[in-house]
Amino acid sequence: MIQNQFHFEKLYHEYKTLVFNVALNYLQDIEDAEEITQDVFVKVYNSLESFNQKSSYKTWIYRITINQCLDFIKMKNSQKRYFIFGKKSQNETEYLNTATFEHPGILMENQEEATILFEVINTLTENQKTAFLLSKLDGLSNPEISEIMQLSISSVESLVFRAKVVLQDKLSEKFNNYRKKK
Amino acid sequence: MERNNWIETILNSTNGITPVAPSDDLFSKIQQRIQLERKVSSKTVWLVAASIAVLVMLNFSILAFKSKEKTSSTTAYLEMTVNKSNQLYK
Repeated sequence: MIQNQFHFEKLYHEYKTLVFNVALNYLQDIEDAEEITQDVFVKVYNSLESFNQKSSYKTWIYRITINQCLDFIKMKNSQKRYFIFGKKSQNETEYLNTATFEHPGILMENQEEATILFEVINTLTENQKTAFLLSKLDGLSNPEISEIMQLSISSVESLVFRAKVVLQDKLSEKFNNYRKKK
Repeated sequence: MERNNWIETILNSTNGITPVAPSDDLFSKIQQRIQLERKVSSKTVWLVAASIAVLVMLNFSILAFKSKEKTSSTTAYLEMTVNKSNQLYK
């Protein structure tokens, strides 16, 4: 028990920043990211004994974090739908509102552009978003992403490629509005 | 050209992103939640065990009551149907 606690503390200090930042990039809200970090580590603590070591702790924690973020978005969207008695959305843009979010890890001079980027990232499909965020913001390689997402490397390559194409298309549309405003 | 440059600027806006540290009290919040879950879970276990015990006892008492009722009703029926006239060939 004490050994387990010690091991958990070690894992927490090693991966707290990783979990918090993945959640922050996903949800674009500091409070929600902290809530997810709590949920993830409670789950890690409860499953630590049954962890089968087939993958590394890093991969395992990444998976838990991403699943927790996706569940959180679904839960928020269903709550919102229930409240407004509205329709089901195609993606998570319904819950995520990046219009005012300023990522604390992004350089001050890039904040405005980053806000636009996050807004467009939220229109991607779940898998495209996960693959893109892990590749672009976490700087993971395609084999690492494939292990986390439990997909083939070629599928990950295709997801990242498709995500970039979609982002470029959407940004191109946004450029027209940007020029009009100018 | 202008369009492509703008798109590139947006796509590269996350370059140089630095990891953000969570608040310092997060670990104590997690510890509290773990403790709370432990408390709740032991309570729940006891509650479930007590409910099962009550259910089993209720089942047994109903079964005992039913079987008692059945035997008394069969004897009453036998008593009623028994021929009291002593004239067996009538």
